[in-house]
Amino acid sequence: MQELLGRITRLDPEASLALRVIACFDELSVGGVNTRGLLAAAASLAGCVAGFGQQRPARTVRVTPRGELADGPPPDGPPAGATPAGPGTCVWLERTGPAEANDAIVLERLALAVRLRHDRDAGAPDARRHLAVLVDGDLPADRRRTAAAALGLSTTASYRVVTAPLFAVWAEHPGGPEDVVPTAHGPLHTLVVPAATAVVQAGPSGVGVATTPDHLDHSFRTSVVALRLCGRGATRSVGADAYAGLVSMFAEEPAGAHHPDVQLVAAVDEHPWGAATLDALTTSGSARQAARALGIHHSTLQHRLEIITTTLGFDPLDGLGRLRAGVAHLAWRLQTSRVLDLPAPTAPGRPGEPEPVGPGH
Amino acid sequence: MRTPVDAPPRPPFDPELKAGLAVVGGMFPPTITPDLIGFMRTSYASAPIEDTLRERRISRADREIAGHRGDPVTVSVLTPDGADGSRPGVLFVHSGGLMFGDRFSGIDLVLDWVQHLGAVLVTVEYRRAPEHPDPFPREDVYAALEWTAAHAGELGIRPDRLLVCGASCGGGLAAGLALAARDRGGPALCGQVLDYPMLDDRGTTPSTGQFDGIGVWDRISNETGWTALLGDARGGPDVSPYAAPARATDLGRLPPAFIDVGSAEIFRDEAIEYANGLWRAGSAAQLHVWSGAFHACDVFAPHTAVARQMIRARDAWVETVLGD
Repeated sequence: MQELLGRITRLDPEASLALRVIACFDELSVGGVNTRGLLAAAASLAGCVAGFGQQRPARTVRVTPRGELADGPPPDGPPAGATPAGPGTCVWLERTGPAEANDAIVLERLALAVRLRHDRDAGAPDARRHLAVLVDGDLPADRRRTAAAALGLSTTASYRVVTAPLFAVWAEHPGGPEDVVPTAHGPLHTLVVPAATAVVQAGPSGVGVATTPDHLDHSFRTSVVALRLCGRGATRSVGADAYAGLVSMFAEEPAGAHHPDVQLVAAVDEHPWGAATLDALTTSGSARQAARALGIHHSTLQHRLEIITTTLGFDPLDGLGRLRAGVAHLAWRLQTSRVLDLPAPTAPGRPGEPEPVGPGH
Repeated sequence: MRTPVDAPPRPPFDPELKAGLAVVGGMFPPTITPDLIGFMRTSYASAPIEDTLRERRISRADREIAGHRGDPVTVSVLTPDGADGSRPGVLFVHSGGLMFGDRFSGIDLVLDWVQHLGAVLVTVEYRRAPEHPDPFPREDVYAALEWTAAHAGELGIRPDRLLVCGASCGGGLAAGLALAARDRGGPALCGQVLDYPMLDDRGTTPSTGQFDGIGVWDRISNETGWTALLGDARGGPDVSPYAAPARATDLGRLPPAFIDVGSAEIFRDEAIEYANGLWRAGSAAQLHVWSGAFHACDVFAPHTAVARQMIRARDAWVETVLGD
């Protein structure tokens, strides 16, 4: 895989290989891969032998970049540059010549993964990184608070969580704590930014609602919903704020929640203008404003409105009909979201992606 | 709300391979649309091969042969250093969805047969779709077979020990080559190695719909590839079995086949069906379905336990067919 990392860098010199390495080891840990598999991945990523040493009982494992056990007698004890993994264990890379760009991150993640693998007390407090703890609503508030403190967040200040897939393209990288967090949608690049940062220059990405650290787990969930509202092959970011409380509602509903009007919206969506028009109607104050947002004539919008009203069986601009259409529209977009399925590597000179549907920044 | 309403269930990826996808996805996106062909030609181009050949003590000679319609096509002949006498020969057909890749793409695993089994390897720079649609790719490959057989003496290849091997679209082209050689009374093949072959332009198998937007080479990518090759004929009644071997109605009297495929890839069903068709027609075939394997995981993540088993099983079969 070292060769693949090289290819990725040649395609996009700005690409973050560290995040891919982190995601790779996260998946290995989640998948319960054993020491030899972890060493094989490290060796493959680094392009040299990776080793593991344990004091009691004495054990050495050395694996080549092709995943085979290395020939030859094990070295006398761990070589210089070995990194402690857990109590009485360490890992190393057998690099001849100067260290290469990814050696440090590969070794760091290998050490962490080996420690997790050998941890007799699985799920111990240090088994997860602070950011993953901070955004996990299933954990008690005091653990999340401890994680927030460890990340240097102020208890009274307001922040947002930003999430993006590993293949997102960052035009500008905001500062602040960041990590890769495993989710039901795969590993997500996750950042905590000040509340004032309502817009990030990364696509696709989702920006969560602003809260104090105690509720950043909610901000995280809203950011994931916002991210999933990005159009396919998105080049832009969606903010949870754009849909007011609706995104918060979706963020808290159980997986597979039923939305009765979704099939009606699906029928509207069969028109080439369907999704964009529903989106404009959901987020605009009036039909006139929606027409302006879409860049179409008011009469064109009126015509579409008639078709939508007939299809839905209710007027999407009338009282609760507006809310009903908005909820169903977002539920439909989330059910059919492909943004996290579609890695979009970019190369200089590559033709642009289609614009996503929905309000972007 | 976590999965699209109609998303079919799919077998899981092996954990080591799933981790590998975090890296692979950066250069080989799951979904390849026509606008990504240019990107893939850069991303999937083979790495310089000279150092590899030197380390493996393999020498290379490039030759120009007459391809389809007599146009010039390049082949490379890769011979173990110091080889003399007659040796087994392998004709290699590279991968790349019919649209990208070159004659050295994914060749590392086949170089093992040159290094360890003493085989002479011929690899052909067949012309790619969409610039060169069917029948250019397959007829260029056929021309390479005829050239290899006609020059067997000069190349040091035993005429009774010539194997064809291809991966992905190369596997499909290799299977089509075996059919064409049978029907045209062409050179004899002692075996066909079809690695996760691209056999069926119709895209109707259940596995084709199981991996949308995930892994390597999904339904959309496959449509992109077949459309590049066949244009409007894709999925219609007029597709040659030499282009899409799943269309063949007679799979008898074919050289012994080795077929491997992953459980977690779209080609799973067509590979199994092809093996079944070979058996039903009285041909010999060995089929391996590797649990949790994504498409071409042996090339992208050869360090994993699944890929190593896959490579070992294939090498063992090839050794029985090619070894003295």
